[in-house]
Amino acid sequence: MIATARYEMAMMLRKRSMWITNAVIVLLLVLLNVSGWGDALRDPDARNTVASTVFLMNLMLPVGYGSLLADRLIRDSRLGVAPILDATPASPTGRLAGKYLGTCAAAAVPLAVILFGFAAVYSVTAGRPVALAWAALAYAVVVLPAVLFVGAFALTVPLVMPAPLFRVLFVGYWFWGNGISPAVMPTTTQSVLSPAGVYSNQELVGLRDFTLAGPVPGATLNFLRPEATPATAWLSVGVLLAVAALALGVAQTLRTRTTR
Amino acid sequence: MRIEISGLTKVYKGKGRALDDLDLVVPTGMFGLLGANGAGKTTLMRILAGLLRPTAGTVRVGEHDGTARAGRLAVQQILGYLPQDLGVYPDLTAREFLDYIALLKGIDDRAARRRRVGELLEVVALTGDADRRLRGYSGGMRRRVGIAQALLADPRLLIVDEPTAGLDPEERIRFRTLLSQLAGQRTVLLSTHIVDDVAQTCRELAVLASGRLVFRGTVGDLTRQADGRVWTVVTAGPAPTTGTVVSALPHDDGMRYRVVGDSPPAFDASPAAPNLEDGYLALAQKA
Repeated sequence: MIATARYEMAMMLRKRSMWITNAVIVLLLVLLNVSGWGDALRDPDARNTVASTVFLMNLMLPVGYGSLLADRLIRDSRLGVAPILDATPASPTGRLAGKYLGTCAAAAVPLAVILFGFAAVYSVTAGRPVALAWAALAYAVVVLPAVLFVGAFALTVPLVMPAPLFRVLFVGYWFWGNGISPAVMPTTTQSVLSPAGVYSNQELVGLRDFTLAGPVPGATLNFLRPEATPATAWLSVGVLLAVAALALGVAQTLRTRTTR
Repeated sequence: MRIEISGLTKVYKGKGRALDDLDLVVPTGMFGLLGANGAGKTTLMRILAGLLRPTAGTVRVGEHDGTARAGRLAVQQILGYLPQDLGVYPDLTAREFLDYIALLKGIDDRAARRRRVGELLEVVALTGDADRRLRGYSGGMRRRVGIAQALLADPRLLIVDEPTAGLDPEERIRFRTLLSQLAGQRTVLLSTHIVDDVAQTCRELAVLASGRLVFRGTVGDLTRQADGRVWTVVTAGPAPTTGTVVSALPHDDGMRYRVVGDSPPAFDASPAAPNLEDGYLALAQKA
């Protein structure tokens, strides 16, 4: 598992498109609100500034890395490497876990660069070095669960449909399930199932600019939107990780079936 | 290490039988496997490598039951496998790729792994290119990386499927020699279309056709299948239509044809001494 994780991470980090995609999304986020960023860098509320930044990051960047991770599992067969790997005594489950952790770790690197880069600049401009600590917390409880959730589906779903189709459906899902208001249509937005991480961002990091987690009056699927508390925030993290584990279990089953 | 295959059948859903009640014993040493495309060679290799499960039948590799999960794992620990459609990760260098496969094969000691990878890069003449990404490698160079990965864990069973495809003549000869040298106390199963590779390296071989065993014996036995059935004829006219033309070489008086068939292809045809390729063709004609 460790060997696979190590080499999968190295290969993903060498993928130029990963860096370009993240850079383009970040550039768009900056250009869409240039003056707003100027204000943010002087905002004395370090906790809320970091939380708001993470909210924006987690709303937009998963579209990029989710699409990039879509070929990681299926490419072993496409490249013709799968027979060599499958003929080794290494456990297929360990290799799958290694591939998952390695690719997710690689996807998380640019996110760390962006978040800690912002926090570092903010620390200097606002004179609030505590932002780095809030960034570390936000990275752990908001960014990483999203990466692990998206990574699991990006590895699994292309086993049953072409990767380009997955990418299209994934982008559609992402904005339906994380962006669209629950008042407009049934959606998982603002629920514990939303990998955008609104519960953990609001309750654990301290997002205060807007309240997103919790029941929405008149919305369907409100059973997925319990009152926002630190406990439900941790529940949300747990649910996302459990669903990710379930998706990986399906991936392993699908791969085992192809050996028959 | 002896391989005993009994009643081995593999049925692919919607594609029919790739192997049909195959019985075969492969002794220690170098063993050739010949057959046309679709004969079932690759399916047999994939079953032996633990990549496919047979529909019926048994496979014993040494003391291991190759059809049981534990047995497959035990076989994979002593296996070197070079698949027909070999792929590599383009983002890794040859050295990294081999290091990765070595880790998967359980060579955990870093120094031993580095030493082994270095030795094998030398063996396949890739030391100078070892730190270049595989993306830029030619087909022949990738094949050599494939050969190196198969030899990583000093395997007692080596299964090589079309190993010399894509290699230039010099590389082909070098690799054939290497396989023969490795054979000693190991079992090397060589599947190929290139009859000459078998002729130069194997004493014993089997021929598959439509998933069945149609021949098992020595190279000499197979060659003798063409006794009295090989002819040469020189003509300026059209190519012979009886028998199978093995070769056509320009000649002062037209073309010189070598033909395998039951009867002479022309009244002035001369009998010729058969070689392994003639024997293989004669067998195919009989089948």
